[in-house]
Amino acid sequence: MSPITSPRPTRAPLIAAGLLLGAGLGGFVDGIVLHQIFQWHNMLSNQLPPDTLVRAKVNMYWDGMFHAAVWVLTAVGLGMLWSATGRPEVPHSGRTLLGGLLLGWGLFNVVEGIIDHQLLGLHHVYEYATNKQPADLAFLGFGGLLLLSGWALVRAGRTRRLT
Amino acid sequence: MKYLTSLLLLLLTSPAAWACTVCRPRVQAGIHNDAYTANLLLILLPVAVLLLAGLGLFFAADIRHRFTLRHA
Repeated sequence: MSPITSPRPTRAPLIAAGLLLGAGLGGFVDGIVLHQIFQWHNMLSNQLPPDTLVRAKVNMYWDGMFHAAVWVLTAVGLGMLWSATGRPEVPHSGRTLLGGLLLGWGLFNVVEGIIDHQLLGLHHVYEYATNKQPADLAFLGFGGLLLLSGWALVRAGRTRRLT
Repeated sequence: MKYLTSLLLLLLTSPAAWACTVCRPRVQAGIHNDAYTANLLLILLPVAVLLLAGLGLFFAADIRHRFTLRHA
C-alpha cells in the first residue's frame, strides 16, 4: 500500500484566477471609463473615426463585442477562483489573489496596448490629440506599474503563507 | 393649434428625430461587410492571448506532469 502524501502547496491556480479576473475587470475599466464615460476612443476609432452617427454606431457594435469578450474572461476567472479555493494544496491568501488581480489588469493594459495601439493601430487611447503617443505610452506605463505592484503583492503572499 | 402643429412637424422632421431609423441599414452594412471576420479576429486577439496565459498558468502543473510522463 502506498503512503498517502499531501500535495505540494501551489499558488499558481489562485494567481491564474486572479490574472483572468483582473484582466477582465481591467477590460471593463477601459470599456466603461475610456470608451463610454470619457469617450476618448472606441474599438475601431483610428480606422473608422466616429464622426457621424453611422460610424459611431458601427464602433458601438465593436465595443459591444469587446465587452462580451472581457465578460467571458471574467467568467472563466470566476470559475477558476471557485475551483482553486476548493483545493487543499492552494493556500487561502488574499495578498496572492490581489496580486493576481493587479497582474491581470496590468497584463491587459500591456497586451492590449501593444497589440491594438502599437502594432495594429485599431485605436489610440486619446484620439482627439495630434500626437497620440503620449497617452498610449501612459496607458502602457500604468500597465507596467500595475504589473510591478501585482508582482510585489504575489511575492508578499508567498512569504506570509508558504514559509 | 396651427403653431403647435408646425412646431411638432419641425421637430419630427429634424435630423435628430429621424436619423436612427434612416441610418440603421447603413449601420448594418458598416458592420456586416467584407472586413467583419478580420475585425472580429483582431478585436478578440488580445483577449485570446490573455485567456491562453491564464489557462496555461492554471493548468501548468497538469501540463508539466503530462509532459514529464511522456518523456519518462
